[in-house]
Amino acid sequence: MDYGYGLIGIFILFGIVFVIFTIFFAGLLRPQRPNKTKLENYECGEAPMGGAWIQYNVGFYIYALIFVIFDVEVVFLFPWAVAFKQLGLFALIEMLIFIAILIAGLAYAWKKGALTWES
Amino acid sequence: MDYSLLIPEVVLFVWALVLLLYNASAKTENPRAIGLFALIGLVAAFVILWFVPDGSLFGKTFISDTYARGFKMIFLLAAIVTVIGSVDFASKHMKHTGEFYSLIMLCVTGMMFLASAGELISLYVALELSTISLYILAAFLKKDLKSTEAGLKYLILGAASSGILLYGLSLLYGLTGSTVLDEIGYRLFLNEGTTIAAVFAIVMFVAGFGFKLAAAPFHMWAPDVYEGAPTPVTAFLSVASKAAGLVAFVRLFFNSLLAIKPEWVVIVEIVAILAMVVGNVVALLQKNIKRMLAYSSIAQVGYVLVALSAGIDLSVTSMMIFLLAYLFANIGAFIVVIAFSNATGSDNIEDYSGLWKRKPSLAIVMTIYMLSLVGIPLTGGFIAKYFLFGAAVKEGLYTLVVIAILTSVISLFYYMNVVRIMMFRPAPSADKIALPWMIKLGLAISVIMVLLIGIWPGPFYAWGQLASTIFHF
Amino acid sequence: MNEPALLHFLILGAILFACGIFGLLTRRNAIGILMSIELMFNAAAVNFVAFAKYVAPQAMAGQIFAVFIITVAAAEAAVGLAIVMLLYRNFKGIEVDKINFMKW
Repeated sequence: MDYGYGLIGIFILFGIVFVIFTIFFAGLLRPQRPNKTKLENYECGEAPMGGAWIQYNVGFYIYALIFVIFDVEVVFLFPWAVAFKQLGLFALIEMLIFIAILIAGLAYAWKKGALTWES
Repeated sequence: MDYSLLIPEVVLFVWALVLLLYNASAKTENPRAIGLFALIGLVAAFVILWFVPDGSLFGKTFISDTYARGFKMIFLLAAIVTVIGSVDFASKHMKHTGEFYSLIMLCVTGMMFLASAGELISLYVALELSTISLYILAAFLKKDLKSTEAGLKYLILGAASSGILLYGLSLLYGLTGSTVLDEIGYRLFLNEGTTIAAVFAIVMFVAGFGFKLAAAPFHMWAPDVYEGAPTPVTAFLSVASKAAGLVAFVRLFFNSLLAIKPEWVVIVEIVAILAMVVGNVVALLQKNIKRMLAYSSIAQVGYVLVALSAGIDLSVTSMMIFLLAYLFANIGAFIVVIAFSNATGSDNIEDYSGLWKRKPSLAIVMTIYMLSLVGIPLTGGFIAKYFLFGAAVKEGLYTLVVIAILTSVISLFYYMNVVRIMMFRPAPSADKIALPWMIKLGLAISVIMVLLIGIWPGPFYAWGQLASTIFHF
Repeated sequence: MNEPALLHFLILGAILFACGIFGLLTRRNAIGILMSIELMFNAAAVNFVAFAKYVAPQAMAGQIFAVFIITVAAAEAAVGLAIVMLLYRNFKGIEVDKINFMKW
């Protein structure tokens, strides 16, 4: 029998109901004794330092911008890698040129000091 | 495959990368040397372009024909004149000159690929390469609030318009199942009748390209961006961005969508009328010369659309002549603005009073540019308008031509207002204005070309006509 | 339920596009506007992939176009975020309706 996408729908429904169910019943069953330490932000077990809604260092944005570009350009490498054997030498040279251009961009960012952390 | 077709683009691209990397590693920057380096690259590409033959690469993804090469000359000339006029500005107001010139070269590379794009993917990517470079250029003065605002407005409206254009391209692909422009044209020709999806796609193309051309009602960004962006960028933007919009618009509409011309011709006519009326009327109210030139450029593109709605080979010929004349007149006028604001720090039209006393040569060349923008005989602008309106008359579009002539008369007031203020108002101060030699060179080239096109239009007409031969009307 | 057909994908694309246009017109935050524009790009990408499967299944052009749309959108987002950062430094905020120095 062919369920098509209906099966996925059932899984999604089950997932949603399961989460609501567990949270709801856990809330009913557990004892309610909040104190200051329990209500703090969770920072991997370390003692928390300040709130989460702070202004981040601008350095993060520059890393993020560079990351976005290089991350997405990899999308061209996948189809090339899959069809590598049929495409042969010509595509290899093309891909090397493409990567050389990307490296030029990276070199520029490096020279400009975008990769060194200033605090 | 003849890869030599790509040499001008590759030269320009490599040149831009070398400039970028060299400049990043250099300790100090010398704006004049960098500007000269960029200029050599642009001129080299221009010279090589003359020797590039006809042909196509990668299954019509990249086409080299007379039309593409004609437009590439326009883009390169616009960049060359802008760079000549901008060296002085760059050394005075700018940091990161190396990035500035390499972005201009990358932008021109994008436009050149756009001129050669024979296929939707390359057309889109080339368009984005040129536009994204221009977003950065518009916001180039990092500390300047106006420049930042200009960059933001250009980015948001530009990205939105390319989103709309892209959606239209996807509909066109769905209708025909091909991304090659010739193939699309052939399949639309075979499909009997047009569907509602085709009309949707056309509306989206007109909106997307209308933005690039800054034609009303898609012109809202233009005045703010023109005023806020650094003046050399405005000069380049006002000519090259329009030419880039036109090159893709004409290739798409006259090559692929010619079979459904009755569907789009009305929309183009409406946009033409709106652009001429809005541009010319609102320009009358402007106090800032860059804003005034922004509205004038909106009006000028209206005249081109009048010729294009005729849809004959003279439309393309006249568009090429127009762009050449407009290039030199408009960039020349912006170089005057650069020279004047470097000397006095003002962009207000009122402050130009008595320029005749302070620097007669500057006042005279500005007058010639203004006369050319109006379209007075013996200037390039007259020849351009003559052929533009001639194309429309040939197809019997009398209403459009009458509106065009009436709005041209309105334009006389604001262009001549600048001349009147320069010539007949008393000067606020007796200080002479000094002109650096690079600015003199830029002004001289522009004036000579404006007059040359006006007095001896023969070779330019032949050049434009050659470009129009690739279309089959 | 039947298998999804071309129409379903086109409706998805149209809804995404409409959401993008709506966000573009109503958002005041510059980042929100950039996200709306990304939605418009993705709407077109959905259309291209759907047309590639149902209209021209033998050619790859539609799918390749989608890949190019993704990369160009990333480049656009990078430049957009850089300009928004500049905006934040100069205007101390990214609400676009407050940024209006130039008027006709």
